Amino acid sequence: MSRVVFSTWRDEFIDNRGKPVDEWKESAFKLPETYNADTGSKAFIGWDGVAIFDDDIDAVELASQYAAQYQEYSEACGRCAPGRWGGRILYDLLDKIARGEGSHEDVSHLKEVSETMMATSKCEIGKTVPKPILDLMEHYKGQFDTCIDAQQPSKHYGGDTSYIAKVTAPCTDMCPAHVDIPAYIEGVRDMIFTDSLAATRQTMPLAHTCGRVCPHPCEDACRRANLDEPISIMELKRIGADYETDHALPWQHPFEVQPPRNDGKKVAIVGAGPAGLTAAYYLGIQGIHVDIFEELPVNGGEVAVGVPEYRMPVEKYNKDIQLVLDLPTVHIHNNHRVDAERLKEIDAEYDATLLAFGTRLSKKVRAANENPKMGGYWGAIAMLDKVNLWNKYGIGSPASNELKDKVVVCVGGGFTSMDVVRCSIREGAKKVIMLYRRDEKTIIRNTTYEEYHEAVEEGVEFIFHSAIEEIFDDGEKITKLKVNRFELVPDPDGGRPQLQKIEGADFEIECDYLIPAVSQSADLQLLPEEWNIELTSWNTILTNGRDFMSSRPGLFAAGDCEYGPMTIVNAVGQARRAASVISRYIYDGKVSLTDEEIMEDHLNKLKVYDKNEKITGWMPGLPRAVSEKLSVEERKTNNKEVNLGFTGEEAIAEAERCMRCYYISMVAV
Amino acid sequence: MGATHNSINTGKPITVTIDGKVCKSTFGKTILEIARENDIYIPTMCYLTKVQPIGSCRMCVVNVEGVDGMILSCQEKAVDGAVITTNNEALFTERQNIMKLYDVNHPLECGVCDKSGECDLQNKTMEFDVDQQNFTARDQHRPVENWGYVSYDPALCIMCEKCVRVSTEITGDEALKVKFGGYGSTIINVKKEKNYASLGDAAAVCPVGALVSTHFKYTSNAWELNKIPSACPHCGGGCQMYYEVKRDRIYRVTNEYEFTNLCGAGRYGFDYANEGVSKDAEAFAKAVEAFKKAESVIVAPQISNEEALILQKLKEKYGFKLVSHEARAYQRFMRAYSEVTGKHLYGGDLKRLSESQAIIVFGSRVNNDAPTVKYHINMASKWHRARVAYMHPMEDAEMQHIVTQFIKYEVGSEEGVAALLAHTLLEHAELPQSVRGILDDLDIGNLSAECNVGEEELDALKRSLIKKHGFSLVVGSDLYMHPRAEQIAKLVALLETYAGFNVICVPPAGNAMGLSLICDLDDAAEGYTVGYDVKADFTLSALGNGDLDMPALNQQEGTLTTVDKRVVPMHVALPYGGYVLNDIANALGLRAKYTIDYTVQLPEEKGFVKTAFDDLPEYFDAVGTEHRGYLLNAQQVESGCELDEIEEIEAFDGAIVYRCDPVDQFSPFTAKAKLLEDEPVLLGSSQFAAAAKLKEGEHIRFEVDGVVFERLFKIDTDMKGTIALNPTFDMGLSSSLLSSYRFSRLVYEKINIGNNDE
Repeated sequence: MSRVVFSTWRDEFIDNRGKPVDEWKESAFKLPETYNADTGSKAFIGWDGVAIFDDDIDAVELASQYAAQYQEYSEACGRCAPGRWGGRILYDLLDKIARGEGSHEDVSHLKEVSETMMATSKCEIGKTVPKPILDLMEHYKGQFDTCIDAQQPSKHYGGDTSYIAKVTAPCTDMCPAHVDIPAYIEGVRDMIFTDSLAATRQTMPLAHTCGRVCPHPCEDACRRANLDEPISIMELKRIGADYETDHALPWQHPFEVQPPRNDGKKVAIVGAGPAGLTAAYYLGIQGIHVDIFEELPVNGGEVAVGVPEYRMPVEKYNKDIQLVLDLPTVHIHNNHRVDAERLKEIDAEYDATLLAFGTRLSKKVRAANENPKMGGYWGAIAMLDKVNLWNKYGIGSPASNELKDKVVVCVGGGFTSMDVVRCSIREGAKKVIMLYRRDEKTIIRNTTYEEYHEAVEEGVEFIFHSAIEEIFDDGEKITKLKVNRFELVPDPDGGRPQLQKIEGADFEIECDYLIPAVSQSADLQLLPEEWNIELTSWNTILTNGRDFMSSRPGLFAAGDCEYGPMTIVNAVGQARRAASVISRYIYDGKVSLTDEEIMEDHLNKLKVYDKNEKITGWMPGLPRAVSEKLSVEERKTNNKEVNLGFTGEEAIAEAERCMRCYYISMVAV
Repeated sequence: MGATHNSINTGKPITVTIDGKVCKSTFGKTILEIARENDIYIPTMCYLTKVQPIGSCRMCVVNVEGVDGMILSCQEKAVDGAVITTNNEALFTERQNIMKLYDVNHPLECGVCDKSGECDLQNKTMEFDVDQQNFTARDQHRPVENWGYVSYDPALCIMCEKCVRVSTEITGDEALKVKFGGYGSTIINVKKEKNYASLGDAAAVCPVGALVSTHFKYTSNAWELNKIPSACPHCGGGCQMYYEVKRDRIYRVTNEYEFTNLCGAGRYGFDYANEGVSKDAEAFAKAVEAFKKAESVIVAPQISNEEALILQKLKEKYGFKLVSHEARAYQRFMRAYSEVTGKHLYGGDLKRLSESQAIIVFGSRVNNDAPTVKYHINMASKWHRARVAYMHPMEDAEMQHIVTQFIKYEVGSEEGVAALLAHTLLEHAELPQSVRGILDDLDIGNLSAECNVGEEELDALKRSLIKKHGFSLVVGSDLYMHPRAEQIAKLVALLETYAGFNVICVPPAGNAMGLSLICDLDDAAEGYTVGYDVKADFTLSALGNGDLDMPALNQQEGTLTTVDKRVVPMHVALPYGGYVLNDIANALGLRAKYTIDYTVQLPEEKGFVKTAFDDLPEYFDAVGTEHRGYLLNAQQVESGCELDEIEEIEAFDGAIVYRCDPVDQFSPFTAKAKLLEDEPVLLGSSQFAAAAKLKEGEHIRFEVDGVVFERLFKIDTDMKGTIALNPTFDMGLSSSLLSSYRFSRLVYEKINIGNNDE
């Protein structure tokens, strides 16, 4: 997949040096053989080996620069004896050799200190840095020997090669917001909870929120799973946020808030949901003027009016929101609906505009006689709006007026449908049924184990492998549903099993409400037709997924209106990147990425997590901590937060299980 | 309440094998802890028993059968059945290499280093035979920093991070942090301007000479000092300490830092001895006569249990009134308390406090009153994410990072607050009919208004306790001297008996607790009075300005009674040439060769144990269990709880002063300590200044309990409200004359001081 001169990446060994080009072996990995559109790449060196793309590489300088990057990497290191001194010794000795002042004894000391670092360092960065250096010393021994024997500098020493490095971790890489997870976990381990929170907020302003309701894709890339069970990453995030709130501390910003620039530049953001708030935060903290236009009287978007109180107490979410709105250059305009006319005005007035209005139209279930205007037919978004506006803000009226003692059927399988059924229970519904096309395993994968089990405990009836064929009504309201059942039939050719309708297994459900929660779509009415904004096949705004500018210059999009209905953390990750691009665009009119961002994308493509890697140096079998929840009886008739969070003992034990899998990688260009 | 939530299975019995030895323990303990329980040695450089594992040195790596790589024994919990090897050639090599790394560029200045002779780096360098250096790195220039009480030399620092952990987990000053940065990483003090004396506790754990007490620098070689084990007499905490002495001078105070803590007063307030005293036979004869004719004896609480017993015996013999105001108030409070609990002591202790998930502090400015108690609250906050409700009329900015709910009440309304607390926290408790009746009849709306404690605040308090395990209640001196102290005591005691609270009634400073247990105290002195460290008609004084000199507590043998209900020994650190109380007692007809002959006679009915002074143990075992003196036995007392109606709450309007010493000051003895430099000023907010019509820099004169204070007024911008802090530590022989409620209205006259000098 990648063309290399030489590679030891992830246990492969390719050495094409001196071979005719047609006999060259390719690397199996998506290595960064070109850096970006205008720049090639000479070599890539990292935790798992080294790959050389340019035969003329200076291996000695490459090794010494990698050690230097490790030295400069100052976010976490210096915190164990082998890493602190060993890293410095590595660099000093390698640079000595590269300068042409080294000896063969230095090489043996290098190997000795490398062994100690690999065996005893605190985090993976110290354990892995020596590996590619030893690889280079072994396979490019000639270059090292020349420097030593001739006492001459390495072949391009001090030349014009640039080295661009980036620190990551498997969890950080997998997190759409690239949160520095090991750092915030270390903050908990150190019991300096403010540091933990500041680490989270480097790339994730919604710490309360994503410490509670994130589906934590990071945990699927946790190396601890290779040993026993993944770290409970998400729940540890909440601890810093709770600490700040509980002690009424001043905002723990990750960087100093810059004074307002007052240079006439300003950015408009449409929508005050997770994406809009995130972009506002990272623009505002730099002193850039931001106006947010929000249609609703309340802030927070779908997390405010969609995610129920028992999962995400608004009091806590409001802290995340206030963090953003307290920035001196961020201003919010509520009850401000942006339509096509207004968007044209905004576009003309602002230096850049970010669309972050989400997906707020409920899709239909596609059954016969489906009439959204029929009584009892209630779109999930509208239903959750009603529940949450009343429960959290006292706006409107209680949904129990509609749902008490009623039979509610929800069609779904994702987070939104879980919120619908669990809210229905809390609003006093007599019976709540969830219809889902696929099986239990899939619903758990689409949501979380906890979410599904808590719903079952609360009395939701799940009917898997089912779909509505026809809806019946009495002219005023829905009366019953005809439901088909399906089964998974294995493909005789060995392909994916197919869902097949079971003949004669249809059944009927009498019900009062049908709440479709199959998916949502973006309400695109605000896009002026004449702009001809390019859309995806899902009817969301098309960008290249890296800089988040739409087909119209200066018009950006992030979050669900760009990606389609997805997670909060995805919206945060996109919006932060968009904010970064916008922060430069408004000055130079160019769409550009930083080296950090380019490397982030390279690593993401390469894949940082290796599920087959064998873990050494850690005690297996330490149980993953699970926070205490309110019992069913304590929770199902109210909106109290279900998850009580970790005890201190659990939090520390869990943080101590984290292996700090920091990796450093570097490209030579 | 269901079973205690415990998702990580701590406490399950396990068996592991370490170096062939079968060790039984429980899950949750680390490999290193189990090794130490079994006397198996694993070398460490950064391990500190009293904090959570740090894991910076990596010396403690071990091998576990079936597990690849080296395992960090200080942090990794042992799993059942693990077979562990703590030493072999490969482990030795790695440990040796780590020592070589530590030695890279470590300045060779052992000859002038304070730590030399007791330095872990020296010891381990020798232990691992590091006699040559394979590694070198470019050195960096890093100047020494003077932070006040402590100084930091980054060149000597090995970045073990122990000091940061103490600052975070133990003392909670949170001044020290790690500044990350690879080889250039260093320890920084982010609160230099505060010059916390508690940083002495962080310096105490430094394994090398990097963080040291500034005053001790370059004064003595460690090995020339004689360690005298003792207990700190200042706050009533009775913390373990050593006086380190050479040629009749105390050079410094150290402690068993691996397991215990010592606040700034204990560590730096050691030079209060009554020096240069010789036997003045004439004064002694007058003292004996004074006792003979005394109608009253008034005593400050800075005396030993044995001295207290001598006074009690003299009282019994001569019939004088024996007065000690704070101890008396505490005695009355505890008597009322025990009427509810049926035990003569409160049930709480510091260890359980540090393990609590929810803590209420009521009626004490605890950071000033009892640093060791504050440390244990901080531990609970850090280790157990404890909810800490702080109930007091004044906020304390120093507690913000520990406190999760500040509940402010009106000055004087403590009885009402206690009733509200009992009502809130005993809602579902099974109570005696009479108590339930009184609680149910409370007019909560009215009480809440009178105390200015909102019902929503109480609701929030109750909510914060949901599903928590381990509740503690810390109460303090504001309550003991309250006019309604006995009623408050009973309300508070209900929480111990009926809601399972770990209650600590923090004793007032000194040995007030010992006095309150040993002596039959009277309320007020009358007639001809002998004072002991208190100004009276005839004054015995360890402060050196009385009619007859007495030894200070670091010049005496004897025992103290501590907040942890422990009786602990003190030894003589400095010589004393004069008469002691025992000499007077012998002249008055008692018979004991030494004061400590009374140790064995301390009253068993008050929980003291019949043990001779010389038989009191003084050590900590390998896992840190304290064997120091003994714990008082809780005695059953007659119970029968009669609650009164809640009295009308007296309103305190306008400017108020609160008797409260600066952190690390407790008495005229700490005031004498040269290292503890605190200015005795009246400290208030600008709001107080407005209410009192005072300006910063003005001098005023006011009176409390007949004691006249002349104070310079200063504004503290961290403070709020109309209450000012009025210290008493500088009041010498007058400070123990104070006997009323800690808050008082300020009525003053302005005086001119200092203007003439300018």
